[in-house]
Amino acid sequence: MNILFDILLQRPLPDPWLQGLLFVAFTLHLLFVLFTLGTAMLAFSYMLRGHWGGSPRALRLAVRIAGAFMSHKSLAVVLGVAPLLLIQVTYTIPFFTGVTLFAPYWLAVIGLLIVAFLVFDLLAHRLDGHPISSLLLGIIGLLPLLAVPGIFVLVLSVSEHPGNWLPIIDQGYRLHGPLLIHWLLRYLHVLGAALVFGAAFHYFFAAGDNEDRRSLLRWLTAGTLLQILLGIMLYGLLPIRPAMMVNLCLFAGAAGCVLFLWYLFSRGGSTDAPLSLHTTVPLALFILVAMLLTRQLIQDRAYLPVTAALTEKSKIHGREIGAFTQESLERYQTKLGVVYDNGETIYAQACAFCHGELADGAGPEAKNLAVPPENVAAVRTTAPYLHQILTRGVPGSAMPYFTFLDRHKLDSLTDYLNGRYQTICKPGALPKAVSVETLNQAKEVYTQTCTPCHGQDGRGTEQSRGYRPPPPDFTSYSLTPQRSFEVISNGYPGTLMPGFGDLPEAVRWGLVQVVNGKRTP
Amino acid sequence: MEFPIFQVPYLGNGMTIGLDAVLHVIISHGLAIGAVAMVVSAEYMGHRRSSVAWEGFARDFLGFIIVLTTSVGAMTGVGIWLITSALAPRGIGSLLRVFFWPWFIEWGVFTAEVIIVLIYYYTWQRWAGERKKQHLLLGVGYVAVALCSALLITGILGFMLTPDGWPWDKSLWSAFFNPSYLPQLVLRLGIAFMLGALFSIGYLVFTRRDRDFRREALAFFGKVALVSLAVTLLAAVWYFTVVPSAFKTHSLYAVMTSRLSQQPDLFWQINLGGVVALLIFCLLALGRSVISARLLVVPALVVAMLFVAQFERIREFIRGPYLMPGYMYANQVLLEETPLFIKEGMLPRSYWYNATAAKADPVSQGAYLFAQNCAGCHTIGGINSIVDRVQGRSADGIYVIIGHTQEMVPFMPPFSGTDQERRTMADFLFRLADGSIKPGVPSRFTPLSKGR
Repeated sequence: MNILFDILLQRPLPDPWLQGLLFVAFTLHLLFVLFTLGTAMLAFSYMLRGHWGGSPRALRLAVRIAGAFMSHKSLAVVLGVAPLLLIQVTYTIPFFTGVTLFAPYWLAVIGLLIVAFLVFDLLAHRLDGHPISSLLLGIIGLLPLLAVPGIFVLVLSVSEHPGNWLPIIDQGYRLHGPLLIHWLLRYLHVLGAALVFGAAFHYFFAAGDNEDRRSLLRWLTAGTLLQILLGIMLYGLLPIRPAMMVNLCLFAGAAGCVLFLWYLFSRGGSTDAPLSLHTTVPLALFILVAMLLTRQLIQDRAYLPVTAALTEKSKIHGREIGAFTQESLERYQTKLGVVYDNGETIYAQACAFCHGELADGAGPEAKNLAVPPENVAAVRTTAPYLHQILTRGVPGSAMPYFTFLDRHKLDSLTDYLNGRYQTICKPGALPKAVSVETLNQAKEVYTQTCTPCHGQDGRGTEQSRGYRPPPPDFTSYSLTPQRSFEVISNGYPGTLMPGFGDLPEAVRWGLVQVVNGKRTP
Repeated sequence: MEFPIFQVPYLGNGMTIGLDAVLHVIISHGLAIGAVAMVVSAEYMGHRRSSVAWEGFARDFLGFIIVLTTSVGAMTGVGIWLITSALAPRGIGSLLRVFFWPWFIEWGVFTAEVIIVLIYYYTWQRWAGERKKQHLLLGVGYVAVALCSALLITGILGFMLTPDGWPWDKSLWSAFFNPSYLPQLVLRLGIAFMLGALFSIGYLVFTRRDRDFRREALAFFGKVALVSLAVTLLAAVWYFTVVPSAFKTHSLYAVMTSRLSQQPDLFWQINLGGVVALLIFCLLALGRSVISARLLVVPALVVAMLFVAQFERIREFIRGPYLMPGYMYANQVLLEETPLFIKEGMLPRSYWYNATAAKADPVSQGAYLFAQNCAGCHTIGGINSIVDRVQGRSADGIYVIIGHTQEMVPFMPPFSGTDQERRTMADFLFRLADGSIKPGVPSRFTPLSKGR
């Protein structure tokens, strides 16, 4: 048996492999996320310029850009499967903690993306329609779409800062202080990257002519400048002194950025020498890889201590629960063999712990109950009344309702009880006859003493039916004479039914006959 | 391993996952597999008979399918994962461990699926004439890849009900090729083609005008629907023969719930009625009755979707106390942990409780014990509210019942805590039911802040 009893901490692969796969999968995913976001932002912006700035050229470009949305977003979603899997397997504890701390936002991703995707797919066909409807659709589509990276950045930022988990709960599950600023900058950094990669993509694949290209080049340049600015600010906010490797990757990425910027400026004004795909793609990918590597190295460093500490804890826990493994498996095996489709099993499992194996009300839990479980073997009732007790329970006692067992199961329980204890029948004759005189005396006692609760007809009164527990309905429910005699003599503990032991014994037997005489069916 | 707790207010966790998952199954089976298979068939018909009507239908229908599958379908699918990550992190995290490789491969399959369907869609106009055959092959390729993804995912779904030898050997193979794998696969394919044919009929009768084409296509899809219906029914019977009786016996309750559990005949009447209704619809379609198809296709789709919802509900419900049978209970407590917690207590081992509890008062202890033991299924005041469940019971009665949940209610997990903790939670529930305490933030059971 593995020492880590908690499957949650087992590794399907060695850590470096998982981290490597995570890096590759995440880079692919992010690339298409950036294309998707960039496409949406650029299409929206050109749509605005087209409709409200009176530029048909911009509108045409917007339509061409928006045409790529379907493919980009589909790939972005599906490529997200592997990074989500890998981060959940590699950094289980910190990642899920981030998710659960901000669960409402995390869940909102589903709805936000469905709305954004549907609206944008619709918009892609209607960009050149009515300006107002395009504007509205654009806003309804763009806002939820832009919110989603904010949520993912939120979960990642939180998961990377274990020191902030408790303060976040203290603040009512909100971000605050430096972490809030860190989140904001990181979020903007993603949007900036989306502008750069979106503009680069459409520079090559959507631009119709040089004027389109010049316009997209301006976005590209502005986006790159913004990224450098945001990157510097983010670097300043790093909580710990970055490791050597981090600095190395970051330096490579930064150098790539400067080179890229120089390349953009050098081609800025000229129409004869547009950007070349062969230079741009490797350069952009180099920057992406270097920067994401920086990101992951920082992330790894934040995650590793938490994961290591929890793994240690889990080993101890694993040794503790290991003592119970065999027993639990045996119990599981046994449970698989217990089928609740017959009265005998149902009684033994669901009733006996209170009512006892002999149905005498002396189950192991009886001692814990102020209202003792009924002596079921002594019950003489009707099938409908028993069904009513089983489906409603007895309020004010422990007796629950059993509607979680369907009618067939409850009927089989009734059959079982009836077969064993003659539950469904009339109460039977008294062990010794009661004289007419005593019976009359008992009737008098019933009228005087019992009717306030049980009612003259034995059905209870309006008031007593609200008691917890209420008295039973004597027209449908009785007990064996012996048991009735016991209850009349000693009362029913925990209920309003007192004992009448001070009445002469003969009168109490008379009362048994009076009460049992109320049974109708 | 423990995480901060979040529960979806009112709906509850199970219903939230259920609603999302059923919507996903309808789209992923019905549109992404079934309807695209119909599109490819229609394209083939168009090619074979040089029919513009078949060809145009196939192309337009594919556009409709792609918009829905890549948005609602994809996001509800990822949604199941996102929801479980937030509501049952330990459960989904453990499942991802057991099925790491199938799921990793599934990533590649999903990606291939999306890429192929996009190429299929965007090359429709260009790959005409000579290249039509290639285009058709692309469609067939897509359906094959989509089937692969069903092959992979069914293993995980079947595992959660019939884990076979996994609890003992913990091996991927016994987990994946579990007893309900094959019947469930056939059942899901039957459902996929059934829904796919119904969706096709819907799209056909509401968007096409050509009378002859409508009648011809209606008969074709009617035939597919009829055969799929038969396959689905047979597979459903097969499926339920392999489910252990201890689970299967709760199927009826799973659908009828406490509200209707005492009218079991109604269950059979409704189901029989549903099957007959679908059968009649298929026969009318076979008889080329366009008018009845127009009138009845939406109700027929609703009936078919309700069958899907019913199947998923039964499958998810009857595994009862287990999230991973033989390993983890539905409340994310491991089977082996329960005896330990009963002996030594759950609260002392609860990191988040000890780190965040304002003070060790019985109410916050009770709330936390409820959250860890019960809140996976029970809400407070919403669907399956614990208040309704314990209403009217005495405090000592609640205490007793808590100690016997797994015997009394066979699909409930046991309470994991000491006798004192059981008493604390019972008092909490009793006071909750009589209204003397009201929980502050029902979705967050971790008591807030030491400072507040």
